[in-house]
Amino acid sequence: MSVQPSLRLRGLRKRFGKRSALDGIDLRLEGPQIVGIVGPDGAGKTTLLRSIAGLLEITADEATVLGFDLRQDVRALKAQIGYVPQAFSLHRDLSVSENLRFTARLHRLSDEEFERRAHRLLSRTDLLPFVDRPAGALSGGMRQKLSIANALLPQPALLVLDEPTAGVDVMARDEIWRILEERRGESLILISTSYLEETEACDRLVYLDEGRVVAQGTPAELRAQVPVKLVRAWGNDPRAIAKAAASLPYVVSAQVRGPFARIEIAAQRAPGEARLRADFAGLASRVRLVEPAPVDMESALLFLSRKQAPRESAA
Amino acid sequence: MSAPIISVRNLTKRFGEFTAVDRLAIDVAPGSIFAFLGANGSGKSTTIRMLIGLLRPTEGSIEVDGIDVIRHPRRVRDHIGYMGQKVSLYQGLSLHENVEFYAGLHGLAGQELETRWGALRERFELSDAEAERPENLPAGIRQRAGLALATLHRPRVLFLDEPTAGVDVQSRSLFWELIREEADAGRTVFVTTHFLEEVDYCDWASFIDEGRLIANAAPEDLRRRYSDGYRVHIDGESAQELTTPAVDDAFFAELESLLAVRPGASVRIDTPSMTDVFRRVIAESNDTRHGQP
Repeated sequence: MSVQPSLRLRGLRKRFGKRSALDGIDLRLEGPQIVGIVGPDGAGKTTLLRSIAGLLEITADEATVLGFDLRQDVRALKAQIGYVPQAFSLHRDLSVSENLRFTARLHRLSDEEFERRAHRLLSRTDLLPFVDRPAGALSGGMRQKLSIANALLPQPALLVLDEPTAGVDVMARDEIWRILEERRGESLILISTSYLEETEACDRLVYLDEGRVVAQGTPAELRAQVPVKLVRAWGNDPRAIAKAAASLPYVVSAQVRGPFARIEIAAQRAPGEARLRADFAGLASRVRLVEPAPVDMESALLFLSRKQAPRESAA
Repeated sequence: MSAPIISVRNLTKRFGEFTAVDRLAIDVAPGSIFAFLGANGSGKSTTIRMLIGLLRPTEGSIEVDGIDVIRHPRRVRDHIGYMGQKVSLYQGLSLHENVEFYAGLHGLAGQELETRWGALRERFELSDAEAERPENLPAGIRQRAGLALATLHRPRVLFLDEPTAGVDVQSRSLFWELIREEADAGRTVFVTTHFLEEVDYCDWASFIDEGRLIANAAPEDLRRRYSDGYRVHIDGESAQELTTPAVDDAFFAELESLLAVRPGASVRIDTPSMTDVFRRVIAESNDTRHGQP
């Protein structure tokens, strides 16, 4: 690997007409890892990923990707990047193997190397039975898997994936993550996702809102920042429990989750255990167990989104 | 259940040699939230298109709100609301103009429309978005707008096809609150999703794989059948671990007696995720098809 998988952005900005999509991004990532890009819709995730992939003209105080300057000629950089956009962008009338062969030639892979890598990627993604099928005739999930296999073929130092698992079923998502994880020690992988399970699997997360990096860290670090305690209230009627719990003064949110009510408590106003149990025992609906639970990514992401919201919705 | 509001029997669709949907039979209880799940290419979308009268089945029967969908596919559309994966809002028209257009399709106008839309706009938090065009709205707001339009004419049944695809976690949470309120108001919601944790918001889930129904039960019953159960840890002195297939009265009674002799002990419960349940449903279906025990 001749290029260092690293990225340094300072004051990165991008406007579309009057609208500011990226409003001063500061981000520094060193070394191979999987980095999740998360945040509300419209935060600038796609714009950021496209900028890093060298597809947009940007302004910045510093913008170095894999050692190349994003503000200069990006052709050499793009040869080192695998990019998977939201919309399918391969050749629909070429078959699975023809699409991969095309990419292999672009990157001057030897025939043996191509055969070896293609076979491995296709068998891992269950696409071997479809090698001769035109890409346009594949189902949505299979097209996603092909796009990712195609981006991974040249073993790029940087892999940029924009919601690669949106609308994709669990089995295909598992296959996709298996091939991504094989590159975890070799490439810098940037992936935007709205699946909570996937955010937990990232080495690092970057939370964007309104064109800025609001928070970043390992999933554990982001969870640790949340000033909320999580409690599960179990009983025969979780809906009634959630409804009643919402009125407690220290409860931030109360939602039904199947067999229990998921209750977020403001850490600063959290009562002691005895008081908590007493309050819950006194709720209209019979609570059989109050179980403290570790703060999860859902709480972390909701907290970060609430922090930015100009008006709080009623608890 | 009382008479099902959706009833499907022997539903089959063949495209030439290929059987996309194979003798499907389901019943949906009125006022329930019914999750219809399956892998891409499993026959899910084909089934939904048949249920809403857009595609003619090869065999079988479908009844929605008392209407024979196969004989009267157009009549059923007055009784249902539909929201597809790509929300069908007209670009170039503002949200309000879209509302007027959709209302016109269903003969909703004047004061009746004002009242109905006013309530939806408020509840779905769309007031700021009303003058905007859909292409300028973030996905979460577009999805809520799509749901509001689908339910505008107060249909008895809502069909929602991956309504939260690509939507961030905060908007998804609000969206499901709105779905629950629709069900409380007596509407039946037939929904598909790839976010399996959302199955816990539903009253029932059925799984289709390669055109066949492979599981069909309430979420808790699916956990009971397709997981190793809840693992319960009692921490502290005399720590103990136990496993239970369900967190029900019998379990609570057992737990309470164990805690009674362990003052100060705390309890942690590992809940099997619906994502893992789904993985096992599919794995067992694959094993069955390939002749494994």
